Amino acid sequence: MNDNKNEPWRILLGPQRPQVNLDAAIAKSGIGDAPIAVISAAWQEAEGDIGDIQRLVANPLHDLGIYNRAEKIFTADEALQAAYRQRQDQLIEQQRMYRLRLRQLTIAAREILRVEGNTAAVAEERRHAISQLRALDRHHLRQTRKIAARFAEQFSIESNPLLADHVAALKKELAGCDTVLITGGHVVVLLNRLSLFGFDSLLVNKNIIGWSAGAMVLSDRIVLFHDRLPQGRRDPEVMCEGLGIVPDTVLLPDASGRWRHNDPVRSSLFSRRFSPATCLTIDNGSLLRMQGGKVTDSEGIQHVTREGKFALVNTL
Amino acid sequence: MSPALQKLLRQAKPDAAEIDTLLRDTSFPLVDGTDVTFVYRGDVDAVFLRCWIAGLDTAQPFQAVANTDLWATTIELPKGSRIEYKFEVVSGEHKELILDPLNGVIAHDPFGANSVCQGYGYKRPEWSEYNPLSREGSLQHRQLDSAALQSTRDVQVYLPATYRDNRRYPLLVVHDGDDYLRYADLKAVLDNLTHRLEIPPLIAALVQSPDRLNEYSGNDQHAQFIAGELLPFMSAEYPLLDKREARCLMGASFGGVASLHAAWRYPDHFGSLLLQSGSFAFSDIGRHNRGPAFDPVVRFMNEFREQPERPAERIFISCGMYESLIYENRSLVPHLQAKGVEVRFEEARDAHNWENWRDRLRIGLSWLMPGPAWQVYE
Repeated sequence: MNDNKNEPWRILLGPQRPQVNLDAAIAKSGIGDAPIAVISAAWQEAEGDIGDIQRLVANPLHDLGIYNRAEKIFTADEALQAAYRQRQDQLIEQQRMYRLRLRQLTIAAREILRVEGNTAAVAEERRHAISQLRALDRHHLRQTRKIAARFAEQFSIESNPLLADHVAALKKELAGCDTVLITGGHVVVLLNRLSLFGFDSLLVNKNIIGWSAGAMVLSDRIVLFHDRLPQGRRDPEVMCEGLGIVPDTVLLPDASGRWRHNDPVRSSLFSRRFSPATCLTIDNGSLLRMQGGKVTDSEGIQHVTREGKFALVNTL
Repeated sequence: MSPALQKLLRQAKPDAAEIDTLLRDTSFPLVDGTDVTFVYRGDVDAVFLRCWIAGLDTAQPFQAVANTDLWATTIELPKGSRIEYKFEVVSGEHKELILDPLNGVIAHDPFGANSVCQGYGYKRPEWSEYNPLSREGSLQHRQLDSAALQSTRDVQVYLPATYRDNRRYPLLVVHDGDDYLRYADLKAVLDNLTHRLEIPPLIAALVQSPDRLNEYSGNDQHAQFIAGELLPFMSAEYPLLDKREARCLMGASFGGVASLHAAWRYPDHFGSLLLQSGSFAFSDIGRHNRGPAFDPVVRFMNEFREQPERPAERIFISCGMYESLIYENRSLVPHLQAKGVEVRFEEARDAHNWENWRDRLRIGLSWLMPGPAWQVYE
């Protein structure tokens, strides 16, 4: 699977339970026993508890500890913490308002997709219903981007010595590792921490292995979904932009567990809503390798078709 | 009825040793689909099943099994039902309410204990039981001097296992908090639902009243205590998310009335309510017939039904189908919906008891305070 292209590769994996394929993915990646930097911030308080991973691979692992770095910064810099909380409050409020509008538009679009008949008028109404959803998603992303930008203006890495020190330390640690592993877990916490330390630029030239949430953050748009919550299914929501390292994809970790596959209309709506991005499932045991914007290996990865079916992704 | 018991009862003179063996080796009551047979053994004059279920006779008589000292009665119990009961045993002038001696499944409440019949299809939810894998939160005992109630009140504060001072948490205020802990396993439920990511890590303030029939019956002093004293106390002492949406008030029975009343009196304070088998008695005309303890409740509920306003944005209501309050709870739903409240109403084949309320906590809490499962991709 190793090739000679200069572009860094990205390997996306599904959940590592019950079946583990992280070790096989690393073995096939061609990095040999080179050290790997680990980002386990998605585990929050359990960050750095990487003994289980170390037992799988011979490569030296270095957890970057960005969750705890952020905790220390917040404790030391009250102004930064207050501004960060304010940003989080604004994002939560923005998400709440987006959700209020999204609920109605989703119901309407789903119902219109269920209308029988394929006349031009029906097709046009379907297109319009979906375009309204897409417009709302775009608007929401603009709003979240604005909120993030306001915070970044106030607390840029350059203007905050403590933050700058940590970023410098992270760069030093990363300099010794060509490959970065990002674990699954809480995708919002993970993305917030990655953004705080400017990881979009720190990661861009690294080989990256990400599983579940660790894969989602690499895409350009984080879409939350879960059909099996105790209170029932919930309509998928765009949360915010991801790091944009794996563009034009919407990633669905553990789709076999979280997504109800028996409603093709709903799946079709999902696919069409995010088109031209490709909606990809990454289930337990599956693997997607990309390099230079192309899929170079795919095991068990499916994409959601325009018709709402799940079809295996072929290697290009 | 179980085949073994039927066979035994068909015998002209069942052998005492056979009866001993059957009773020892069989779980009682006998659940055979929707038929449930209760059995009592003893030399008495009469036996009655007492289960306080609206719709059934208060006392269901047992039949003596000929040529034995066995008594039995069979009732039909729909799938998924769970009922609590006692036996009334009569010997001469003496009447006694006892637990079913053949059934070890018991539910406790502030008045004592009842035997439990877990009908066909009912299973205690696993999330309601202690799970060693769920990290345990802690309970702190605090005291609060209340000017409104003119007394010092104990408040138990539940902190999640991952509690940190530099985080901010949603707040759950629980009426009859000690009872919820003792009889509805609230701590295990909170630990488990947090562990399962179905609710967020939260702080709960558990209050208990020494005079709940008075204070929980639509009492303005109690509402002042909750909104004007307890909330500021909790905000000052703990890192809370300082917004209405992050505060939920809950209670069962009269505690449900107290929750609705406090949120109605102070409409900007709570974003959500969890009301379980609320004693929402009202009268459309004339007098109610629930006794004097309900007089203030009826006054409040009649006023509320005239002017429901919007006590909270989201309200979860649950009630047992086998309790007389089902009518009042059902009729509350459209009043709230008409005011734009988002309401979720759940009925259960159970009655007015703590285990019914325990079994509804997952769906209620996770609906009102959704956890991070939505955001976690392991």
